[in-house]
Amino acid sequence: MSSDAAIRTGAIPERLLEPPLTEGVVTPGSLDDQVLAFPDRRPPKQWYIGLAITLTALVIGFGFIGYTIATGIGVWGNNSPVFWAFDIINFVFWVGIGHAGTLISAILFLFRKRWRNAIARFAEAMTIFAVMCAGIFPLIHVGRPWLAFWLFPYPNQRGVWTNFRSPLLWDVFAVSTYFSVSLMFWFLGLVPDIASMRDRTTSKVRKTIYTVLSLGWRGAASHWQHYEKAYLLLAGLATGLVLSVHSVVSFDFATSVVPGWHMTIFPPYFVAGAIFAGFSMVVIVLVVVRETMQLKNLITIRHLDVMNKVILGMSCLMGYSYIMEGFTAWYSMNEYLHHTFMNIISGTYGWAGWLTISCNIFIPQLLWFKKCRTSYFWMIFVALAVTVGMWFERFVIIVISLHQDYLPSAWRIYKPTMVDFGVLLGSFGLFFTLVLLFARVLPVIATTEVKAILPGAQPSHHGDDHE
Amino acid sequence: MSSGKSFAVLGLFDTPDALMGAIPQVGAKKLGALEAYTPYPLHGIDDALERRRSPLGGMVLVMGILGAITAFGFEYWISAIDYPIVTGGKAPSSWEAFVPIMFEVTVLFATFTAGLGMLLLLNKLPFFGHPVLSSDAIKAITRDRFALAIESEGEGFDAEAAKAALLAAGATQIEVLPEPDRGPFLTSDYILRVAGGIFAACVVAGLAMYGAVKLFPVLPPMSHMEDQPRLNAQKADPFFKDGFGMRMPVAGTVARGYLPLGVASQDEAASLVNPLPSSPQVLAAGKKIFHNRCELCHGALGNGVPTLTAAYGAKPANLQAQQFRDYPDGKIFWAITMGKNAMPSHAADLTETQRWEVVHYVRALQRAQNATDEDVKEAGTR
Repeated sequence: MSSDAAIRTGAIPERLLEPPLTEGVVTPGSLDDQVLAFPDRRPPKQWYIGLAITLTALVIGFGFIGYTIATGIGVWGNNSPVFWAFDIINFVFWVGIGHAGTLISAILFLFRKRWRNAIARFAEAMTIFAVMCAGIFPLIHVGRPWLAFWLFPYPNQRGVWTNFRSPLLWDVFAVSTYFSVSLMFWFLGLVPDIASMRDRTTSKVRKTIYTVLSLGWRGAASHWQHYEKAYLLLAGLATGLVLSVHSVVSFDFATSVVPGWHMTIFPPYFVAGAIFAGFSMVVIVLVVVRETMQLKNLITIRHLDVMNKVILGMSCLMGYSYIMEGFTAWYSMNEYLHHTFMNIISGTYGWAGWLTISCNIFIPQLLWFKKCRTSYFWMIFVALAVTVGMWFERFVIIVISLHQDYLPSAWRIYKPTMVDFGVLLGSFGLFFTLVLLFARVLPVIATTEVKAILPGAQPSHHGDDHE
Repeated sequence: MSSGKSFAVLGLFDTPDALMGAIPQVGAKKLGALEAYTPYPLHGIDDALERRRSPLGGMVLVMGILGAITAFGFEYWISAIDYPIVTGGKAPSSWEAFVPIMFEVTVLFATFTAGLGMLLLLNKLPFFGHPVLSSDAIKAITRDRFALAIESEGEGFDAEAAKAALLAAGATQIEVLPEPDRGPFLTSDYILRVAGGIFAACVVAGLAMYGAVKLFPVLPPMSHMEDQPRLNAQKADPFFKDGFGMRMPVAGTVARGYLPLGVASQDEAASLVNPLPSSPQVLAAGKKIFHNRCELCHGALGNGVPTLTAAYGAKPANLQAQQFRDYPDGKIFWAITMGKNAMPSHAADLTETQRWEVVHYVRALQRAQNATDEDVKEAGTR
């Protein structure tokens, strides 16, 4: 007996029933009218205000990036021995933000978590924008970004090849693959939705653009067959990828000999942190989207509740990782590791260490309470704390480990400059500008995927989860 | 209805159940190929339409394995064969570090096969000329309605029979579609051809670059830095017949600043004229050199009474003697240059100019020690 039929006959006990994925009456037609109508309407005033703010941040940030490129990276606070600082912190931070999108779109897809359908599109878009933000930092950190193509192995007149044993090169491959795969996944999901927009828009210009972007999608059953197969395969591939990308990022640190970096826990620890930070960012953005775009019936409070549970779980994993770091420092009896760990909790940057621990471990414990998981105030409070905490976690890992390593004569206190902060601001400006533009011109909810899980959407003699 | 041959007849249904019910009814009549158009994928429709399994999984598997092999081969060839560099003390052929990039390239190949293979190869998209796209029904199809089309499989397509069959199966709306428009150039075939051309051009350009760097000596690359054609001083070298790497200077070569004097003895040197003026600067320079090099033996006054006399066997010349006061400048210069009796040559230590400066100073010493009334008068007039 299929579950739909069971629900109709009331054979399943109430407490085992999955709560409905949408609130109120939602039909495929009403879904289209609700979600796909945004691009045809004038955006509300808040949208313009938001765009003005994010564009200002973007312009300021890109001014600082231009200044950096024109002058050289000496304008940053980086100096021996802290050669990696804001640039790599921001890179790791943004790559991490992206992981939530892939987790939601790929891993939850494989797990058949149908609630993901309503939020997958936005999360995927955030992945792509976050990876774009992340890409800026290594690019400008190379100092001469116009020669950045040297990172790729291609036959050249210099007769040299790249070093395949360097984790930095692994990073080049991992991040560029991650971006390509995320973009492909996102675009494939968009094609049928864009086709819907093409067929409902009245503007000639938009119709032309959507026609080209939808590639002439016509919803043929033979196309859907290959499409679903491709989507499943991509979800499987992206699942492996999302676990690998932040692992490879962590190799940048773990394969070195710097005390505080050279640890086997780094790959899982980084992946958990990435999902943690990414989910928090998704919660922040979704709350705003849900309120301003009137999508409360599609992105329900249950979605936010489940997301907050994931955040709580990841917070506990992070706590385990932090305790493990302390345990390793103690149990290894390695004086350098011990010194680095003591620096995290009591050194010059001890405040950053405690800020990290408070924001990532203590504050998210609020989410044990259902009241906090379903209250805007508390979930935004926790999500902002996690965002700050995860940024400072990378600060702790990178700067504290580097500023005092094996050679006391080389120890030095790192101080960021205004340019460092300016470029960070610019990356936030870029991210939210892209988010706002995306919400304006493309379907923010995967209407095709949501249509397929509405009640009565599937033929009744075939259950909708018979696979 | 369009004037040309009709290509397909499309019937719209309101619910998925209606569509699924119509498929076997219409299919039994064998009027043409069946195709459904739906707003989202319907479960079980592939079986109802008797579709074969999508070959995409196999394609992705093959391309994924190909990606892994490509990445490993590329990394191994570069790191171990073409450009072996020891990093981190690992052997050039140690393969463990190649795994992360192998994985990434595997995923990349597989992803592009899954995404673009599905769109371009299997679904033949983009294609903008399909009649469904310009039909009246497309707005409903991409929104919330379900269409079943009977499509022509060549000659003998009976549009009227197809219409009747769809209506009988419960279609709420019927539309006859014309032949596909093959006009729009942006098709999957076109994109595949262009992409293939670009790929081939990249491969050719890459191989050409590699070949140019490796094979043609007109572009000496950096990898040949250890190969530096040159002769090493004081080393044997077969390049010259005598087997020496170093060459002797051509006979008669003169070093800069060491022009020969053109005289062969002290008597002949009498003809040399001091080229320097007897200026205070020259005398000061000469005094300094005399002080450093001459005074020890000849005495501060040049009278051959130095501090060193007791410890020194030979008797240095008394430059105040009449014999030397009568010497022409050139003969003093010669003595400094060539040495005399126990005095060694100073040619290696003093340049010609410095020697002439010393000559001036010796003349000044001689005059000072044998001053006349005229000299005093001359000094008084200054």
